[in-house]
Amino acid sequence: MLFTIPVLALIGSLLLYPIGQTVYYSFTSWDGYTSQWIGPSTYTHLFHSPDFVRVLENNATILLAIPVAILLPLAVALLINSHVRGWRLFRSVFFLPTAVSWVVIGFVAVRFFANDGILHDLLSKLGLGAVHPDLLAHERSALLAVMITFIWSMFGTNLIIFLAGLATIDQEIYDAAKVDGASPLAAMFRITIPLLKRFIQFTFVITLITAFTALFSLIFVMTQGGPGFGTTTLEFYVYQYGFAQSFYGLGATAGVVLFVVVFAVSMVQLRLLRVDD
Amino acid sequence: MSTVVVSRGRVRRVWRRRLVRALVYLALAVTTIVMLYPFWYMGEDAFRSLEQYQLGSGFSLASWRELFQTLPVGRQLLNSTILTSGSIALILAASTTAGYALGVLRYRFSSVVFLLVVSSMMVPLQSIIIPEFVNLARLGFVNHFYGAILVYAALGAPFSTFLMTAYFRRLPDDVIEAALMDGLGYFAIFFRIMLPLAVPAVVTIVVLQFIQIWDDLLVGLLFLQTPDVRPITVGLATIPSQHLLNVPVLMAGSLISAAPAIAVYLVFQRYLIAGLTTGIGK
Repeated sequence: MLFTIPVLALIGSLLLYPIGQTVYYSFTSWDGYTSQWIGPSTYTHLFHSPDFVRVLENNATILLAIPVAILLPLAVALLINSHVRGWRLFRSVFFLPTAVSWVVIGFVAVRFFANDGILHDLLSKLGLGAVHPDLLAHERSALLAVMITFIWSMFGTNLIIFLAGLATIDQEIYDAAKVDGASPLAAMFRITIPLLKRFIQFTFVITLITAFTALFSLIFVMTQGGPGFGTTTLEFYVYQYGFAQSFYGLGATAGVVLFVVVFAVSMVQLRLLRVDD
Repeated sequence: MSTVVVSRGRVRRVWRRRLVRALVYLALAVTTIVMLYPFWYMGEDAFRSLEQYQLGSGFSLASWRELFQTLPVGRQLLNSTILTSGSIALILAASTTAGYALGVLRYRFSSVVFLLVVSSMMVPLQSIIIPEFVNLARLGFVNHFYGAILVYAALGAPFSTFLMTAYFRRLPDDVIEAALMDGLGYFAIFFRIMLPLAVPAVVTIVVLQFIQIWDDLLVGLLFLQTPDVRPITVGLATIPSQHLLNVPVLMAGSLISAAPAIAVYLVFQRYLIAGLTTGIGK
């Protein structure tokens, strides 16, 4: 019992108590000093605000990046797993971005997508100079640039999880399948993918949680939430309203919405962790 | 006649296999370029002056000099080091003890505590950041290292405790039984037997948390607002806007802020991979 006191003190005072406060303050108008109970009207107010609806749309749009952020590393993991020489080197290289701050990644990404940036150079070299996407400058396309950067950054993490998953599959199953006359492609869809189901679920959960709670630095550096509300996600909205504009109560309400979403997704993860127990 | 047909089929199969191999390597090569290009870009442009960058050729250290005039790089690297080491020390103190209690001793309420730890893993920072900030500001902890260290420690503790618990659980029971037979107390077992055995898990936590805290922006941005306590990642993200257009300076700053975490990664990547894959089970 004694040994758990430090962790309980940390978690209790700095995570669990504040989440209780967030829930409480979400029903109040709060400026950091005084708060007045105004009940669930904060929520109706929030959900009727066009800005906030836009924010929810942005989060929903980001969901579209998740299948890509899972399927690309899955495909590459399957390639690496096919007895490639130097696979350790490939693994190290592909995992490298995991060590790099989203702040740094964001700065390079800005150079990539900028009007006179790398993407534009690349397109002009291919004779497509007329396309000129300039994704970051437009409200409807800036989020796409953020999503592409996110997929790039997530690639290594998901790859490592799939490689760990592939390592758990017994080679004998494939030998047996070969004897039965299954083609390599059939073996992949009938054996490998089903056996990786748990790992695919796991990557889904962590990709989603990352997308909803860890893009702050990327958005801060790349777009500051703009143009307009083009790249303001729930987490960035909390920051903007809570700190940049001091609407603490509104920020808390948005924080509860974020918490509910993450908690719901995490329940799936909890089930996955239980399997380990 | 028939032998010729067989060998032709075999030749075709060999060529097909070679073609598939070549395509696999081609795909991996393309992926390598996509993953490494940003680093190459960063490295190349950091060593150019603004004029050389616009020309696209030549190398110089001008941008590094300008970076050091713009940002107190040395001070900020030191701040980052203080922050990460302080937070990691606290995380280790909390997670090794709790992991020992939950994974080895298993007292009456340990499953409740474990559940509490796991559920606090699901609290997103952004959901608590406003009351957290207000609470710590009231205590006068903002703009001091210990305030931010407490926040980082609280954020890192749940997963680290989970990791330690899982690790200790896997140790064979007879290790502890033998120690108890020798008349060692719970504290002695913890310090003399468990901690030395836990070194691989401890390294995993250190590496994971180092990268996490070194690379973080939000906590540093809010809890360390005065320039003298700002860590390097925050310093870079809040570089005065007139420098935002000076790409070589930005890239030099990016490079120097990313370098320590990349170095840690290159040396300890095995532990990072181990940490990431714990929790899915084998």
